[in-house]
Amino acid sequence: MIEEGKALFLQIAESVEDSIVDGSLAEEAQAPSTNELAAFYRINPATAAKGVTMLVDKGVLYKRRGIGMFVAPGARESLLVERRAAFRDRYLTPLLAEARKLGLGSEDLAQLLREHAHTTTTEGDQ
Amino acid sequence: MTINDVAPPSGAAESVIEVRNLTKRYRDAVAVDDVSFSIHKNTIYGLLGRNGAGKTTVMSILTAQNFATSGDVRVFGEHPYENARVLRRMCFVRESQKYPDDAKPIHAFATAKLFFPNWNQELADRLIADFRLPVRTRIKKLSRGQLSAVGVIIGLASRAEVTFFDEPYLGLDAVARQIFYDRLLEDYTEHPRTVILSSHLIDEVSNLIERVLVIDRGQIIMDAATDDVRDQATAIVGDAAAVDAFVAGREVLHRESLGRVASVTIAGALSPDERSRLTAAGLDIGPVSLQQLIVRTTQHADDTDATASDTRTTTKGGRR
Amino acid sequence: MNRVGNVVRMQLVNRQTFIWVPLLVLGGTLAVTLMIWAMLPPAAVKYGGGAQAPMWYFFAVGIMGTTQTFPFSQAMSVTRREFFLGSLLTASLTSAILTVIFVIGGFIEQATNGWGVNGYFFYLDWIWSSGAVVAAALILFMTMTFFVTGFAIATIYKRFGPAILTIILVGLGLLLVGVMWLIGRLNAWGQVFGWIVTQGPEGLAIGLVITLVVLSGIAYGLLRRAIP
Repeated sequence: MIEEGKALFLQIAESVEDSIVDGSLAEEAQAPSTNELAAFYRINPATAAKGVTMLVDKGVLYKRRGIGMFVAPGARESLLVERRAAFRDRYLTPLLAEARKLGLGSEDLAQLLREHAHTTTTEGDQ
Repeated sequence: MTINDVAPPSGAAESVIEVRNLTKRYRDAVAVDDVSFSIHKNTIYGLLGRNGAGKTTVMSILTAQNFATSGDVRVFGEHPYENARVLRRMCFVRESQKYPDDAKPIHAFATAKLFFPNWNQELADRLIADFRLPVRTRIKKLSRGQLSAVGVIIGLASRAEVTFFDEPYLGLDAVARQIFYDRLLEDYTEHPRTVILSSHLIDEVSNLIERVLVIDRGQIIMDAATDDVRDQATAIVGDAAAVDAFVAGREVLHRESLGRVASVTIAGALSPDERSRLTAAGLDIGPVSLQQLIVRTTQHADDTDATASDTRTTTKGGRR
Repeated sequence: MNRVGNVVRMQLVNRQTFIWVPLLVLGGTLAVTLMIWAMLPPAAVKYGGGAQAPMWYFFAVGIMGTTQTFPFSQAMSVTRREFFLGSLLTASLTSAILTVIFVIGGFIEQATNGWGVNGYFFYLDWIWSSGAVVAAALILFMTMTFFVTGFAIATIYKRFGPAILTIILVGLGLLLVGVMWLIGRLNAWGQVFGWIVTQGPEGLAIGLVITLVVLSGIAYGLLRRAIP
């Protein structure tokens, strides 16, 4: 679960973002507390706090005094936008590089994509 | 960007220990060489380094169990030597701690209760159960792991404001070590304090420690937040020629090759531009764990000193 | 001062070391001595030397105190001064217990004419020659001296190592031999013995106090720079 080589607090932030994006953590729902995150991932609470602070600064979470951290309205939308923009660099570029290595042209790729998308159930846009 | 260009700790954090130009010289060797650092309050530190690097010496001097040749040490703003006011707020559990002849763990804990103002018996009892420690067996008859458990329990249950753990979990099996890490984190979360953990097992503790202090041959070669350190190196893997071309001009920490495939660890992270160039060149990025990073940095420092070539060829893969 | 009291409690946590074993050693030696006396003619006056056995044990305790309890006290965040004072206090208390037993034993022996067999274990003439109080002081200081000597030797060992310790002990031995040779040369043994007799147990007691103070000073001075 915890990857080597990537800042821990970023991974924590990303995992919270993941659960917002896939819908398991709804908007206005309470996010796991710093201590809960620290205990779950067995990491230093200060690191977990750093990740949470980053999300607050980013506007993904907000703080309700005395209660805790909550998912900001519109968080999911903005995360989707962010991830779609990153999609190309994160997935497409390496995909194309690998395809080139294997001698697959863009037509081959398009074909593969259509076949694969057809046989796999993908979650439609919500 | 080199390995040591990390932003210094912010002045806002309160420091409980200040060390300035600490040196410890023995007749024929320098154990600690002009070392300076600060320890921030309520932070878990990893004090990392090879055997003989100076970790235990530094911790002993901070707790007045050993003496500096020169330099200044302040704990809670005061000199620790013969200073009961300061010492009672600290706890230093050594590796291979000596106990009174014929003492049993229950005696050791009863004594700890007398001297550590924050001692928590409930926590101690819970840990005794966790580690399955036979408290009425003489300490000299305990196994290595059980002996370590005694030290660990004292360190944790003392709830001292500054607690040092000098590899006291040597001899603990993997399960017991995990128990130690878990209980440490739990108790630290509820009762924050300053903890300094020295260890060889860097990857095991990497998720616990907030800051990293690396000592090599008596000198501090790294003093940074763990998260900052993780970004400090990248491993580039792929065709040897392509890798070498890619890393030209970067500081190389380590190089390994297996046939035509090379894995080169460079200092610093890659910019998004560089990442695209990398993928385009058909190369891959490998992860560099904290342990590898520190090991590579230490090796690099050794290599530079010995003015040996940076190139090293091994026949096994570079990754753990 | 509370912490010094806690050092005493620390030393006594394992009651065996400071209390039970010395009593056992004393009791055992006494029992053996009595058994031997029971087999000898009752009319002859017999003196037992076994009373010093627990004192030698205190010597051993003094050594163990430094080699083992000191490092532990450091782990307990106790200062060297607290440890020193606390250990000395513990030794005093337990020496006092021993002394009380001695004095009572002495009275019993006086009252029973040497346990009915003219055997004297506690009531040694010379020690009691100036009365019970001086005898008690003597036993107390003697026991303490054994302890502090052990403590000092162990501290020297810890600070300087076995080589230097051996040199010091051999040196002292040579010094003693040298003094004895000198006395012999000057044919002064008669005077020396005369002087010792006139000093009496009070003199010895004072001599022991001086030794105690000097040895304690040495031990503490060395302890201040000792590493656990």
